[in-house]
Amino acid sequence: MPEVADSPARFSLATEGACLRISLAGDWTKDGPLPDFPQLRDGSEVRWSVEELGKVDSALPAWIQGLERAAPPGVSFRHEGLPPRIRGWVLLASADAESDGGEESLPWIARLGLWATLSKASWLRAVSHIGELALGLARLLVGRAKVNWQEFPQLLRTTGPDALPITLLLGFLTGVIMAYVGMIQLGKVGANIYVANLVGLAMAREMGALMTGVVACGRTSTAFASHLGSMNVSQETDALRAIGLRPVEYLGVPRLLAVLAVLPLLSVFATAAGILGGMAVAVGYGMSAEQYANQVIEAVSVRSFLTGLIKAHAFALIVAWAGCYRGHVARRNARGVGEAATTAAVLGITLLVVADAAFAVLFNLFAFY
Amino acid sequence: MPEPRVRCSDLAVGHDGREVVGGVSFAVEPGQVVAVVGPSGCGKSTLMRALAGLDPAMAGDSWILGERLGGLDEAGHDALLRRVGFMFQGSALWSSLTLAENVELPLREFARCGARERRLLALHKLGQVGLLGAADKHPAEISGGMAKRAGLARALALDPEVLFLDEPSAGLDPVTSARLDDLILRLRDGLGTSIVLVSHEVPSIRRLADFCVYLDPVSRTMAATGKIDDFLRPDAHPGARDFFSRHAQP
Repeated sequence: MPEVADSPARFSLATEGACLRISLAGDWTKDGPLPDFPQLRDGSEVRWSVEELGKVDSALPAWIQGLERAAPPGVSFRHEGLPPRIRGWVLLASADAESDGGEESLPWIARLGLWATLSKASWLRAVSHIGELALGLARLLVGRAKVNWQEFPQLLRTTGPDALPITLLLGFLTGVIMAYVGMIQLGKVGANIYVANLVGLAMAREMGALMTGVVACGRTSTAFASHLGSMNVSQETDALRAIGLRPVEYLGVPRLLAVLAVLPLLSVFATAAGILGGMAVAVGYGMSAEQYANQVIEAVSVRSFLTGLIKAHAFALIVAWAGCYRGHVARRNARGVGEAATTAAVLGITLLVVADAAFAVLFNLFAFY
Repeated sequence: MPEPRVRCSDLAVGHDGREVVGGVSFAVEPGQVVAVVGPSGCGKSTLMRALAGLDPAMAGDSWILGERLGGLDEAGHDALLRRVGFMFQGSALWSSLTLAENVELPLREFARCGARERRLLALHKLGQVGLLGAADKHPAEISGGMAKRAGLARALALDPEVLFLDEPSAGLDPVTSARLDDLILRLRDGLGTSIVLVSHEVPSIRRLADFCVYLDPVSRTMAATGKIDDFLRPDAHPGARDFFSRHAQP
């Protein structure tokens, strides 16, 4: 256990002409508080007295070095009065200070400019990543892309079948919630039977794809981001670049294709589960299963179903891109990987909602309903 | 005669029940620099981890600052480790912390000072290794040589009486390596720290070591000890002579 300081660290000041003498007393160790720095007059010369100095460790040279940094530039320090060991520590700390690659703090206007430049750079990087992925897909179409197909089956499994149970559960529960809300509101005007239309249409057009997208952001985007971010940390992406591969194409394209292949299917399952959830509630309220099914078939047109599928494909692109992009630009440390996973989920879900709103406007404009 | 800071007697170390090197006996006096040398795979790093108390030895005894490692309970062992600094080959800086935070962490856990004092101490230690201006950078933002120096600053955080340095110059260019050697010598002279280092960089060993311990991968033993010039004599251990005259092992 560290020794506890018996006598607190303290000092007294005495002026001797242009010289300021600081008399150190007590224990100057890491196990007690150190006193605040004294105010030093510009042009003064600091000397030390150590007659009453008790126990000492590197806390004293650390304090002296801090005082030197805090002092006005005209103050000079004479360390001869310090014990040789302490003097050695202080001199050692100042000996190599010129080689540390330090940075000056910038004025606020320069910091603002730097922030603007970095923000712009961040947007450009995102756009550039989309471009690289698109280029990778184009190169794939003409048979010139170098893609890691070896991990494709595993990607299909982790993004598809592994995600099916949670997608089914959330789809089912979404249907249940909507049916309850519908039963309460439609029941007031005796139109309970239209709960089937409500649930069927909402699941097919909106909620099936959206809930699947949200689940995929939480599972798949974060997994992509943390995996690719870890590869950044261990310089695996640099190693790919070093042998002439394009990491975005090599790693990003199979991920994009895997999500594009399975997310629309998951969305179909989620839609079906939601409709079944609604049916469970409707049957509980006295409607027959056949009645419910007939209403759903009548309400959900092929076009409605296609609407959901189109959205699911777009959401798949968003989910895959958010994960790959945040992973590729992750900072090269453990915190960077964590941030990449978090920001991938946030970015993905935000873009899903924005895209869903855009689809609503577009489908309305083109009367696609 | 002061007590040796580090001592071992007939020490044997290894992995998974397999002995890598045995029969190691030597002592490190205060302010002395001892280099553990030998070809790759001879057990240098394994020996040093055991000497520093990071891994248990398979046989024999070792002492740090007069305490026998095998005779300590867990709390005593942990307390002893706090009086020892260890610089890892790959620096092993915590990547999510800044350099100053890396140095502050041991102080936060084991010293009783406040945040202001910890910051002052961290800046002081980083100043000692010439990294004061990089205190708020993350490990990913600095060069390999700076990371080595930051690892050294962290090893110095609790004012260790003994420093263990695992391949301090490995992977560095000759200029950076020479600067790190200068720094280690200044630390020894300024702080009186005893240093045990593992290296196969002969120029570095020549500059730093008061004496060397040569581990022979063939016999799996400590084959020779002495000053570098002793290893260059015709009657020296042939493997050690080859090592120091920079010839390949047969």
